[in-house]
Amino acid sequence: MPILEVKDLCKQYTKVLAANKINFSIDAGEIFALIGPNGAGKTTTIRMISTLIKPTSGDAVVNGYSIINESEKVRQCITYLPDEAGAYKNMTGKSYLNFMAGMFAQSKSEIAEFTARAEKICGLKERLDEKIGSYSRGMIRKLLLARAVMTKPKLAILDEPTSGLDVINALDIRKTIKEMAKSEGTAFLLSSHNMLEIEYVSDRVGIIAGGRLLEIGKIDDLKQKYNAENLEEVFEMVVKNNEVSKSA
Amino acid sequence: MKFLNLLKKELRELINAQMITGLVLTVVLLMAVGKVMSSATDSALSSDSGEISISDQDKTDYTSQLIQHIKDSGYKVNIFEQNNTDKAELLNQIDKDNLIIIPEGFTEEVTVKGNIGSIEIVSRMSSNSALSSLSDHSKDGVELIQNFTKNYIMSQKGFSEKEISVVDSPVNINEFTVVDDKWENISAETLKSLTTSQGMIIPIVVFILVMFTSQMIISAISTEKIDKTLETLLSVPVSRVSVLGAKMLAAAIVALINAAVYMIGFYGYMSSILGNSGSGSETGSVSDILSALGLKIGLEEYALVGMQMFLTIMICLAISLILGALVNDSKSAQTVLMPIMVLAMIPYLISLVYDVNMLSPLPRILVNAIPFTHTFSAINNIMFGRMNLFWIGLGYQTVLFVICMFFAVRLFMSDKIFTISLNLNQKKKFKKRMK
Repeated sequence: MPILEVKDLCKQYTKVLAANKINFSIDAGEIFALIGPNGAGKTTTIRMISTLIKPTSGDAVVNGYSIINESEKVRQCITYLPDEAGAYKNMTGKSYLNFMAGMFAQSKSEIAEFTARAEKICGLKERLDEKIGSYSRGMIRKLLLARAVMTKPKLAILDEPTSGLDVINALDIRKTIKEMAKSEGTAFLLSSHNMLEIEYVSDRVGIIAGGRLLEIGKIDDLKQKYNAENLEEVFEMVVKNNEVSKSA
Repeated sequence: MKFLNLLKKELRELINAQMITGLVLTVVLLMAVGKVMSSATDSALSSDSGEISISDQDKTDYTSQLIQHIKDSGYKVNIFEQNNTDKAELLNQIDKDNLIIIPEGFTEEVTVKGNIGSIEIVSRMSSNSALSSLSDHSKDGVELIQNFTKNYIMSQKGFSEKEISVVDSPVNINEFTVVDDKWENISAETLKSLTTSQGMIIPIVVFILVMFTSQMIISAISTEKIDKTLETLLSVPVSRVSVLGAKMLAAAIVALINAAVYMIGFYGYMSSILGNSGSGSETGSVSDILSALGLKIGLEEYALVGMQMFLTIMICLAISLILGALVNDSKSAQTVLMPIMVLAMIPYLISLVYDVNMLSPLPRILVNAIPFTHTFSAINNIMFGRMNLFWIGLGYQTVLFVICMFFAVRLFMSDKIFTISLNLNQKKKFKKRMK
């Protein structure tokens, strides 16, 4: 049974159809990436799955729970890391992790377990005792990623996980994602503009544009299908083909 | 447990070192300012111990007696010889700020010709502060000159001492003041000054609370939205109502701490400048009179005002939640505070000089439609037994709070919490980002 199954998910804003019958699924331990140009509907889709916004129609089932009818149970199984997210600047890294662990844990020992795990993953060591306001962007992102995976979620949803980070920090984060998927069986739903990153980290990708999921598959299969050398070329061809078919 | 965790986080965000330092400094400063003003008043009163400066240009037996009369009345009289048509130079010459000039021929005009005599008062104005005029006793000197001259003329006309005292004060006034259906032997003026000093702190505290609470919650919501911590928070396994409830409860707790601290600070300030008149002036018979008239504010009355204040804070919180959600950057966080500021300012300014219930019908309805008005007028309504107005106000505020809360919860539960924006251009950008 897949961890996430998205079924005909639609989101209509007043004038814009931001997501149009999106369908895909993710298995345990799989890393799935949604790629698409700006305004393609990636964040809207991710926000619907994260139960932040309600779909106009369709549904998504996370670990057997519907995002519409069982949103609180869904939130127990997922973690969400928004694009360019911050953390509470007045808190220390440790107290932030403690606070977030407390939102998922059922007991004090579980809080301690989650926090210890996050401390190990983020690698910020003694800097965790300092206020988040003094952290660099890379440090905040590492802290947030550690927060997102510390509870061993069934599904971790990461919107642009490495945006604005330097190469070293981005590499660290990609490694962590791959390790977590492999060792813990956590399923990842990523969104990114960075094709190199997606090619390195993802098992499968979905190419989205104009609110529609245009292609879905393993990277090698897609490269073969479009006779492309890399994912960037696949992406370009899929998006341009879509524009041509729309204008025709 | 999760709610407590949320509440602790909200309190930690709101109660920080800067806030505590600010509060402590406020109390210390208010008390220090009170002490400074108190000592300034004392020194202004004691600096010249009732000095009156007189330039006697007439130099007659009559003016000598007149000056002696002033001295006998307890004033220290400084006699100067100088006179100068340039009044500024004259004050500089004698190095004083006030001078009474008895011109040459004054005695003859008053005692011989039976005409109205003239004297001059010269005063230097170097400040418009209340304290600056405390050491000016020229007016007392003039009153003593008037009385002495009046008595002299009447005794010359053969009036007996008793007749003189009757003419001096022909009507004995015994003042009674009626409050509601009770009355006491006290002047309305005295009673007014006593009740005003009792209730003057309340509007100041309410105004500060309204502003502080609103700013706090607008900033709490907008910062979460701008930093995208709100998205993270709303994706954790806890209901949105709990997130909202924790935010409101934390803000209410902090607001109440602020209210208490400001009350202590203002009490210290008022006690210092009024020489503990907050309790001292009401001791003994005056206190009994206030109680008899039902004007003494006791614990029960303060509890009722506290209830009003709490509702005001809750309305503020609900409105601020909605306004905070409109904000997408720190600049607009300041702008959205404006409507609350205006709504609080109108009843605040009116309550300082006027009783809202005395306004003509249309302005009264409009001002009473502002929810904060009822808290500003609560103390007056309770003191003067207008309890029906108090309860109507409380009921109106409760209904308004429920309505505001309904919209705040609806907004928080909907997608709009992420998409709603104050600025139309920003709204377009925000929608773009959502796609």
